[in-house]
Amino acid sequence: MNSRILPIFALLVSIGIFFAYIRPTWSGSIATARAAIASDNQALAAASEYAAQQNELISARNAIDPTNLARITMFLPDSVDNVGLILNLNALAARSGLSLSNVDVIASSASTRGTSAVGALSVSGVSPINSVDLSLSAIGSYAALQAFLVGIEKSERLLDVRDIVVKGSDTGVYTYQMLLRLYWLH
Amino acid sequence: MLPPTIPTSFVPRSASTASHRFHTDFTGVFDLLMYIALGISFILAIVVFSYGRILSASQSAKDTALAQAESAINPATVEEFVRLRDRLALGNTLLAGHTAFSKFFSSLGTLMPATVRFSLLHLSFDDKGKVKFEGSGVAKNFNALAAASTAFAQDGRIKDAIFSNIVVNPRDNSVSFALAAALDPKLVAFSP
Repeated sequence: MNSRILPIFALLVSIGIFFAYIRPTWSGSIATARAAIASDNQALAAASEYAAQQNELISARNAIDPTNLARITMFLPDSVDNVGLILNLNALAARSGLSLSNVDVIASSASTRGTSAVGALSVSGVSPINSVDLSLSAIGSYAALQAFLVGIEKSERLLDVRDIVVKGSDTGVYTYQMLLRLYWLH
Repeated sequence: MLPPTIPTSFVPRSASTASHRFHTDFTGVFDLLMYIALGISFILAIVVFSYGRILSASQSAKDTALAQAESAINPATVEEFVRLRDRLALGNTLLAGHTAFSKFFSSLGTLMPATVRFSLLHLSFDDKGKVKFEGSGVAKNFNALAAASTAFAQDGRIKDAIFSNIVVNPRDNSVSFALAAALDPKLVAFSP
């Protein structure tokens, strides 16, 4: 009878080891660790891809002339800075022979308006661009208007004439009302 | 010479002895299996334990590597790249739609006969983004107005030009008019 006890005890111990340690450890902590490692591997692969792409982008950016980078920043600035713009417009008008009489911000447009003006260039449904309309009145000759318009069209900061009214007179000096749209990244 | 199959003894074996021997053999095999099962359980437990340790060490190493990779990412650099991408892409789009009314005014000065002049001229964008041209003015006579209309039609860039409110002044035969037209986008498109 004693010779039966040890084998049966061995069987019970082996069953106990399997169900009390091997199985729960395999399906518990080991499975969790394997899933975490798989997730880490994916994240590391993404990080590696990011690093490679970042290096590529840095090389591409460094290949751009810093002067041109400054120009593109001026072209589409980070802030509206309409006061500085009005000063520049006044200087341009003076150079063109046009006399500015009234400058005002007539509409502050949200990003949605910018989107409609620009198109569907948005990230996460929100356009990164804002725009505002600037109304200005001026007096001057037809040639002065043309010089002023050419200056605006070739301005380093992007300005779009959205509306223009020209009122004639017999003296050759005309009255102008314009609506300029300026843009910036927000 | 005897054949090998012939038993050496004629004394029969008892049935109980054979049964006992079979029972003893079976018990021995059963015991052996139990011990083998115990051994396998121990080996498996050791393997699982070791594998868990290895996985834990591997996970720890990967977590460290991931933390290092994450710390190497500079949000300012990312933001800078995003803004540069937006600036370039949006700048391109905006530039494609950039308006240059100076071309229109130059063309208008060339097209219009000297005997026709505008007293009011209005350029604007409609809801569809097309440029509208509205104005009013005075022509020296009806022929001058007709010449202006023909010039617009021949040029083709000032489209759908409709002259209306045409009134002849009986004193000097001058003709006042209103004009509504649409402009060809090429006429106001900026070209560097």
